[in-house]
Amino acid sequence: MISSVTSFLASIVGEPMADMILNIVIILIKVAVVVVGTLLHVAYATYWERKVIAHMQLRLGPREVGPFGLFQPFADGIKLFFKEDIIPANSDKPIFYLAPVIFFSSALIALSVLPFFDGFAIANINVGLLFLLAMSSIGAYGIVMAGWSSGSKYSFLGGLRSASQVISYEIAMGLSLVGVMIMAGSLNLTDIVKAQYNYPTGFYAIPQILGFFVFFVAMYAETNRLPFDLPEAESELVAGYFTEYSGFRFAMFFLGEYTGMLIMSSIGTLCFLGGWTLPKFVMEALPFLSRLPNFVWIVVFLAKVYVFMFLFYWIRATLPRYRYDQLMNIGWKLLIPLALVNVVLSGTLKIMGWF
Amino acid sequence: MKNPLIRTLFFTEIFKGMALTFKTLFKHPVTRRYPLVKVPAQPGFRGLHALAKDNTGRMKCVGCGLCGAYCPSQCIHIYTSEGEDHNKVVERYEVDILRCIFCGFCVEACPFGAITLSEHYEYANYTREDFYMTKEKLLANWDTYFEGEKGKRYFKEFWRPMSDDFKGNPEQAMFSKITRKERT
Repeated sequence: MISSVTSFLASIVGEPMADMILNIVIILIKVAVVVVGTLLHVAYATYWERKVIAHMQLRLGPREVGPFGLFQPFADGIKLFFKEDIIPANSDKPIFYLAPVIFFSSALIALSVLPFFDGFAIANINVGLLFLLAMSSIGAYGIVMAGWSSGSKYSFLGGLRSASQVISYEIAMGLSLVGVMIMAGSLNLTDIVKAQYNYPTGFYAIPQILGFFVFFVAMYAETNRLPFDLPEAESELVAGYFTEYSGFRFAMFFLGEYTGMLIMSSIGTLCFLGGWTLPKFVMEALPFLSRLPNFVWIVVFLAKVYVFMFLFYWIRATLPRYRYDQLMNIGWKLLIPLALVNVVLSGTLKIMGWF
Repeated sequence: MKNPLIRTLFFTEIFKGMALTFKTLFKHPVTRRYPLVKVPAQPGFRGLHALAKDNTGRMKCVGCGLCGAYCPSQCIHIYTSEGEDHNKVVERYEVDILRCIFCGFCVEACPFGAITLSEHYEYANYTREDFYMTKEKLLANWDTYFEGEKGKRYFKEFWRPMSDDFKGNPEQAMFSKITRKERT
């Protein structure tokens, strides 16, 4: 079918143009699938979070809209969409408009390099991991700009806290992933997963336990989730950097935050838990698994991502918020030295040929 | 586990907390889904007022005014007049529900068991007049909330009139129970 479409296009615009147009169309379809899939996941991530936390606190959670409250995310979305869009009088308006867009789009752009199963990534680039880290830093710009432009002290404090927190923990997160890069010998996420498949344990969380721990803690700080949710500490800063936002602009921050959680979970899955693959010894023990088509493995990938998401909720329901100096101490005095030790150890062992 | 170094290194306290929240995840929630699932009032609950009727359907109240005298929030207003053969006629018996504190003293005070407190507690409304109970409304409440076996039992066990039994029921809700507890 594709060849007939190509020949039809070639008859109109010529051979080289036809290939390009077809490529673009295929990429656009992929983008649509990924974005829609992610947004649906985000919608139900909020539902799931509310349910899990409610039951952990002996409450019921949403139950009224639809069976078991399953349509609650859509009710919330429609409500936010039709809400009045309030712009504070003393806000810096262009930046105020821009900030949620930057935050949300940086989260969505990061999706483009994630391989969901073998051979499915919108852009299978060689610096995938670096790209993901860069996008999560750009998201911090959105937060800082929102905090600055709102013209409110709460927002400003939230933005400042977020800036320092994200900068501190970005170092730890980047360094924790260096061990994975050393072991896989690549920054391409697909290659990292394939290297893990060929590794005896099947995933890097076992030899890279230090790196995994540092990544795990930094993940919570990067997404501004409890116990490190100081930028949006409800009890002190109303809502932190998005205090002044309402309606759809608020929804963009909200969606961006949950997409960020999904992306961090995906990075953890791809770099430490073997992505869409099961360990090699499992595959050899159950040979029929290797005959399954490629796209089935997205189930394994999503299952691993959901484990991370559940941990996000579980920890949110359990732990109180850290104090700000404690947060900085953990970042600079514990996580960064640990990550550096991990880099040195991994490098040494790699040179000695143990990895 | 006692060693503070080990406690810090392996986050034992965090894991303990996580284990606790994971356990509660599977416990039965304590939420009551109120408008859908109504919780029955506890025995002796003091809800909306009602004026009792006797077997012939006449109002039991004789207009002595003890309830109004006892009432701490002074929300009971009684207006009486002299009838044809010199008996007392209760013209108006009004309870301002918005001022009532539901202490139940009026019920304790009444020698004839004429005023009662029902188990009904859902009387939200839109105007203040709806919360101003006139004699007609209070008598209608009797028909609504003390009709049938349940109302009879409730009335007998908890708001037993002093005219029936001046010693007071030992299981009566209010003072007798409290004093019995204090003695022991």
